[in-house]
Amino acid sequence: MTTLTDNLLLERIGQGDAASFEAAFHQHYDRVYGLLFRLVGNRAEAEDLAQEVFLQLYNHAFRKKLFARNREHNVSAWLYRVATNMGYNAIRGRQRRWQRNTVLVPDPQGSPAAEKEVEQQEMKTAVRTALAQLKPRQVQLLLMRQMAFSYAECAAACDVAPGSVGTLLVRAAKAFREAYEAEGIED
Amino acid sequence: MTQQEKEIRNALNQLSILEPTAAEAPHPAGQMLARVRQEIDRQEEDRLITRFGRFMMNNNRRYATVTLLLVLLFGAAFSFPAVRTAASDFLGMFRVQKFAAISISPEQIAILQRVAEEGLTPGELEIIEEPGELVPVESLAAAQAQTGLTNTRTLPGLGAPAEIWVADGGNGRLTVDLAGARAIVAATGADPLLLPDSLDGAQVDVTVFAGIQQQWADGTMLMQTASPVVEYPDDVDPTVLGEALLQVLGLNEDEAYRLARSIDWTSTVLLPIPQDFASFNEVTVDGVSGLVLNSLSGEGSASFWQKDGVVYLLLGPGMGTEDLVSLAGTLR
Repeated sequence: MTTLTDNLLLERIGQGDAASFEAAFHQHYDRVYGLLFRLVGNRAEAEDLAQEVFLQLYNHAFRKKLFARNREHNVSAWLYRVATNMGYNAIRGRQRRWQRNTVLVPDPQGSPAAEKEVEQQEMKTAVRTALAQLKPRQVQLLLMRQMAFSYAECAAACDVAPGSVGTLLVRAAKAFREAYEAEGIED
Repeated sequence: MTQQEKEIRNALNQLSILEPTAAEAPHPAGQMLARVRQEIDRQEEDRLITRFGRFMMNNNRRYATVTLLLVLLFGAAFSFPAVRTAASDFLGMFRVQKFAAISISPEQIAILQRVAEEGLTPGELEIIEEPGELVPVESLAAAQAQTGLTNTRTLPGLGAPAEIWVADGGNGRLTVDLAGARAIVAATGADPLLLPDSLDGAQVDVTVFAGIQQQWADGTMLMQTASPVVEYPDDVDPTVLGEALLQVLGLNEDEAYRLARSIDWTSTVLLPIPQDFASFNEVTVDGVSGLVLNSLSGEGSASFWQKDGVVYLLLGPGMGTEDLVSLAGTLR
């Protein structure tokens, strides 16, 4: 299955080929989940969003069959872009819903008893709050790189030239540091 | 290690705290795949409605995506009924009164579709009350009782409808995120600065009411519902949003500027019609101004109009404009 081009994979999914859809799912699910979990910090929410990403893939493939047969597609780049946007929107929405310009608190899953856990939780919250201040592409670049995606994969997913990934990463890291420091939490 | 490399390393180290722990690992992929497949199957079932309905859905799939996106983005600009000035008693409350159409190219649709698929949103949409699904009822009287529509109309010339459905209304609120909204506008090649700063955090409330759908044996379908209501902040300028909307739909700056100022945004719902899907005409239907779409593949026509506070949609498989308008004239 790995020998299939993304275009062919999409075409087969669009034709209702279950094996192709399953191949794409198994190939990308863990990393899509990992990306979403880093953003939302909640297993159930990350799984729901991951499900939505793959539903979008199915619908995307269906539409592609009908309307864009000759366009080239990069399935993995598309998946991580959509996942980032969904996760990013979730934390932005959560932030807006709860506290504008204040600390972003993840959805509660039970209160950690130990003080260390509380501290850890606060740090995660601060990191996510800082990420929510960045542009979606910066968030995507940082998280993909943290997940050990290659520069080429980052470039494809962010739709930028491979040669510019380094520069964009530096800018994103700087923006992240500034946003994190603005949260007023010391390392 | 350079300063820049150090900056990246530090950021990535900080982000490593977000990695899922063993307890936070996802459920097995096979289990999640089964969940996704179940949802796909449910979607497929939803697609099977009627032959003409299916035709509309299949051919209109891009249109539906685009429309959803645009309604979210321009909820206020989409539905500015004429009562704005007359409704000092209901400041900021508007109702749909009139329909107009604009042609949209396949290239622009592809751009909008990509934006929609990539999950960019113009804000947070909160569904307060989920609109109901279509439910079959025995008679028009039952439909009327269930929906509260007091002036239900039908097409007596076609005989009794073969099937009648009703659906409950619902309502939702879009809280605009200006950065997201501007990102969408920019992604479509339009000028994001047309969206004013004051739009950030604006709340647009949309209410749709219960509706009735009748279908006859030949596939003719009539839907009617009380005109939806849109409430939005009083300081939103519909002309400027309309101009942005027209640019998003593919008009150049000059065309959008000119056309935005020739449309009465306080009374008009603008429907973007894919060039390769249907042609459209403004017609007099049921005694009022309405819109007729003719599918380019010859499948049939559809007409939208609003009369006495009720929005109508009439679908006529195999019919042309004249036949459809004549049929609408027999509504009782």
